[in-house]
Amino acid sequence: MKTFEPAPSRPAPKMTAGIIAWVKNNLFSSIPNTITTIFILVLLANVLPGIFDWLFYSANWSGETQDDCVKDGACWVFISAWSQQFFYGSYPTEEIWRVNLCLILLIITLLGSFFVKKGLREKVFVPLFLALPFISILILDGSWIGLEQVTTDYWGGFSLNIFLAAASIIVAFPLGFIWALGRRSSMPMARSISIILIEFFRGVPVLALFFMGSVMLPLFFPEGTNVDKLLRVWIVLTLFMAGYMAEVYRGGFNAIPAGQYEAADSLGLGYWQKTLLIILPQVIKISMPNILATFIMLFKNTSFLMIIGIFEILSTTQAALSNSYWLGGHAQEGYLFVAGLFWTVCFSMSVIAASIERKLNTEHRKELLSAALPVPASQP
Amino acid sequence: MIRCINRLEEFQQGSLIVDGIEMIEDVKNIEAIRRDVGMVFQHFNLFPHLTILENLCLGPIWVQKKPKAEARDIAMKYLERVKIPEQANKYPGQLSGGQQQRVAIARSLCMNPNIMLFDEPTSALDPEMIKEVLDVMIELAEEGMTMLCVTHEMGFAKKVADRVIFMDGGEIVEQNTPHEFFENPQVDRTKTFLDQILNH
Repeated sequence: MKTFEPAPSRPAPKMTAGIIAWVKNNLFSSIPNTITTIFILVLLANVLPGIFDWLFYSANWSGETQDDCVKDGACWVFISAWSQQFFYGSYPTEEIWRVNLCLILLIITLLGSFFVKKGLREKVFVPLFLALPFISILILDGSWIGLEQVTTDYWGGFSLNIFLAAASIIVAFPLGFIWALGRRSSMPMARSISIILIEFFRGVPVLALFFMGSVMLPLFFPEGTNVDKLLRVWIVLTLFMAGYMAEVYRGGFNAIPAGQYEAADSLGLGYWQKTLLIILPQVIKISMPNILATFIMLFKNTSFLMIIGIFEILSTTQAALSNSYWLGGHAQEGYLFVAGLFWTVCFSMSVIAASIERKLNTEHRKELLSAALPVPASQP
Repeated sequence: MIRCINRLEEFQQGSLIVDGIEMIEDVKNIEAIRRDVGMVFQHFNLFPHLTILENLCLGPIWVQKKPKAEARDIAMKYLERVKIPEQANKYPGQLSGGQQQRVAIARSLCMNPNIMLFDEPTSALDPEMIKEVLDVMIELAEEGMTMLCVTHEMGFAKKVADRVIFMDGGEIVEQNTPHEFFENPQVDRTKTFLDQILNH
């Protein structure tokens, strides 16, 4: 009788996990790879210490005036001394709480519109969100609600960038949807007007639109009325944004299966019921990632406002740079700070966008797929 | 043909009278007709962003203007009739195909229709799920609901139908009682069709 003899054990597998294995597989897997890796390491070793030294080690962190910047590195004193200007422009110091209040309201309603339970969301947060630009204007200006009036000349800084971007997109949200509906409409009039509007505001550079806004918009208002500069900018940004949003929505419309329209029709729902109850919620869900991407684009575009003399953060920075007490050439710190600020906000929006997307995925993508791609027919 | 009855599609020739109203190009009539004509689709077409209950309440609340509580009661009643009341708060994507189709049937029933149209209600389903949907339809038929059903389920047609209409290339080829239709077809096209499907 033959006895069972186990086969000889195989050698342990090559290391495939862990840091060393990763480095070996990804950085030194071949000779050209190794050379590239070493080259990049040498380059970084030459550049990084200088940058870090300037940014942190030799930087000047504390002080009040330019004279406190004695070391060679960055003069962050410049930023801290001007920080109020950077964020709030020339808004009166004792009234700054109004700006903060609006910012907090914005964040609360924004988060509430996405993360709160459905009933509360639709009844409270979404209407509040849509009304927010007007509420904010009341609070910031103050003259209508019994606070001291702060005219728009004093609004400025990074908060203005945020407010303008938010106010434009909030109004562009429904406006773009109406344009997108118009574009799909079978009525020739509504259709052509929508197409002209969408293509115009998408086809003209935003900077040209700003100039046209300051020059041409007054022509549409009655003679003698002096329309506020910020209001004009807001209108231009909104229309510009609505053009883009309309196209984003169009993609969403196209993704909705025809069966949804037929089902709504066969229930006897009217056009607006069908559009608002069935189509709109699904379109917004599908388009949400693109809407947020468009919003980030718009937010960055607000820095163009410097050119037409709005005191948003970039023009505030330039004003600070040319201040006679700070003529020491702090442009590097200033612009780096502005870039960092924009990057931080845009990056956090990307993160929020990703989490909203994930949430929508788990909630509804499955259903959407099941409606769009039914089980293939199987004949008995 | 059934898609013409509630005018999801327009017909090319002839005339069509639904419930005493001639279907010409008149939008007001169409919405009145659609209110009384229930429709069940091949691909269910439930609204994916609404729960089952909301799917069912939509018609009663918005079209028939019923109060919410009443709409809810109606919805639960029909959901029980199709035997899935426990799924009321789920989303359509969480249900199997057969369950979704039964919800779709309940959704039409909530509108209390005079006639129900079925557009190949079982052809997108797994064979196992076909039965549960057909069972619901058989019950409805026994309760006296008028139904017009496009189907490839010959056994079902034979058992339940009062009248069988055989169509090919957009035209009616033959219509008869199920017994006569299956046992004694008159037209050659019908004979070849029955040979094809019954001999395998």
